[in-house]
Amino acid sequence: MRKRSLSALILGLILLAAFLLAALFPTLFTSHELKQAFPAWLPPSHIHPLGTNALGYDIFTELVYGTRDTLFIGVMSSIMTLVLGALFGTLAAERGAIGSAANAVINVFVLLPRLITLIVLSSFLGSSQWNLIALIAVFSWVGTARAVRAQVIHLSAHPFIENCVIQGYHRGHIVLRHLLPNLSDILLSRFLLGVNSCIMMESTLSFLGFGDLYHPTWGTMINFAYKRGAFLRQAYNYLVTPGICIMLLSLSFYFISMYVSARRESIGE
Amino acid sequence: MKKYLRNLFNALACFLIVIILNFALPRLLPGDPVAYLTGFAEEEMTGAQVEHYRSALHLDESLPRQFARYLRSLLDGTLGYSYKKEAPVSSLIRGRIGYTLQITLPAVVLSAMIGLFWGLHCGYRKDSPGDRFSNALLIVLNTVPSFLIALVLIIALCFRRRIFPYTGVSSAGMAPGVPGFLADRLLHLALPVFTLTLAAAPSRYLLMRNTAARIADEKYVLYAKQRGLSPKRIQFSYMLKNIAQPFITMLGMSVSLCIGGSLVIENIFSIGGMGKLLTDAVYTLDYPLMQGILFVTTLIMVISIIATDLLCIAIDPKVRLGESHA
Repeated sequence: MRKRSLSALILGLILLAAFLLAALFPTLFTSHELKQAFPAWLPPSHIHPLGTNALGYDIFTELVYGTRDTLFIGVMSSIMTLVLGALFGTLAAERGAIGSAANAVINVFVLLPRLITLIVLSSFLGSSQWNLIALIAVFSWVGTARAVRAQVIHLSAHPFIENCVIQGYHRGHIVLRHLLPNLSDILLSRFLLGVNSCIMMESTLSFLGFGDLYHPTWGTMINFAYKRGAFLRQAYNYLVTPGICIMLLSLSFYFISMYVSARRESIGE
Repeated sequence: MKKYLRNLFNALACFLIVIILNFALPRLLPGDPVAYLTGFAEEEMTGAQVEHYRSALHLDESLPRQFARYLRSLLDGTLGYSYKKEAPVSSLIRGRIGYTLQITLPAVVLSAMIGLFWGLHCGYRKDSPGDRFSNALLIVLNTVPSFLIALVLIIALCFRRRIFPYTGVSSAGMAPGVPGFLADRLLHLALPVFTLTLAAAPSRYLLMRNTAARIADEKYVLYAKQRGLSPKRIQFSYMLKNIAQPFITMLGMSVSLCIGGSLVIENIFSIGGMGKLLTDAVYTLDYPLMQGILFVTTLIMVISIIATDLLCIAIDPKVRLGESHA
């Protein structure tokens, strides 16, 4: 178990490092400019590894430059998801009116049809990058909140928390200083999985054409490819490679989260 | 019993929130509600037009009366009026919803069946090489976006080998009654349904597999094994009964998941269902139509949750025989 999860971690980190490098230093990977025009629909060659698109831009370059925005939206909305989830999760573990109100909010958000609500809201509120991040976060925190709630209830039965209660510490102090630090494992693995689901959500929205056109992500690329007739030109790699990148990025986060959860289990034993 | 009542209550609360959201959004956001409720830009309308729409939409009345009117439009089933398409929202949706359900329902059933039987099989033999392999396979499949599955299938099966048609739900000239209509429809639906099934199956599988794996450690399973019962018998007459409830609850949840997925797939396969209607509505800024679609999807979701809850109650022996026997 130990060895297998370690190799998953290494594989995940290597993949993630490649994507991070592409996000931070795109010029390392490609010598072309983002908006450098070549003849349109060139087939793949050693100058253009994936060919060029309808406007004559190099597809591989677009892919490399799209990494930054895809990762940014995924990571930012996952961080917001984490904050919302931790907040509602700890509130829901409280007794009394606050706890049952937070529970009710969680239960309602579980049921909402996510994608359709997101689309309708984003068209009402406008789909700028920050709006998308906020909207995706608002509709993704439920899973985190449930996990946090279960863990807080679990921890509250432990002697060290009971001890704090007996010593007369304020509830807020107990939550902030004694409960939250013990949630770090759960929050870390929820963050890693959250990045996945946020990236998936964002790319689906962008693919449908509801993304932020000023910050084109991989989903936006596929949307353009689909709309501008990549099918008829048989530029299949233009359609498929951004999707494969989404898959690899998700897998890298998944592998790392596998290591995190395996480590938690082995500590628990 | 109490659990199911709480579920029911949650579903209704969720429904109510969508209704309130629908009512409040155009009225609270910056900008004239007339612009939101008609979908026309404010600067393109003359003052007389704005006044006409304002009174036609009853925006000059008090908010509670507006809300009452809105509720009445939901109850009598018109769901408001789309000024862009010049038709009541309900008639627009009614024309399209059939196609969405034709893709969604088979996919819900198929993906749930795959999840149930494969998950049961692998959960029973957990940590065997076969279980590990199928886990890894479906975890990878779970990270593939649904549009990628659709695009790859289209490229492989429609363009490289022309086995399936890649657009619409019927060939030209096919109408109900024409011989071969059914076969033609099935051929058109095969790929969208397959795509949606592939997209939904991994999460269903992982859910059922983990539930089954947890149950496989129970003592009654061990005892059944010791009695020398066949694995099939143990899986289907012992374990299945105990994972029936989480399975049925999951079935209800996957309806709304698959309707969301169908949105993407209808757009790729150019099927004129509700998802296509929604994307059209967003592109033309037809706000009443968007709200109507959100309402109908929530309604479908609430109905499926209530139905699965009733089913859970019906098969739950604790409820059927009375709590005292349990």
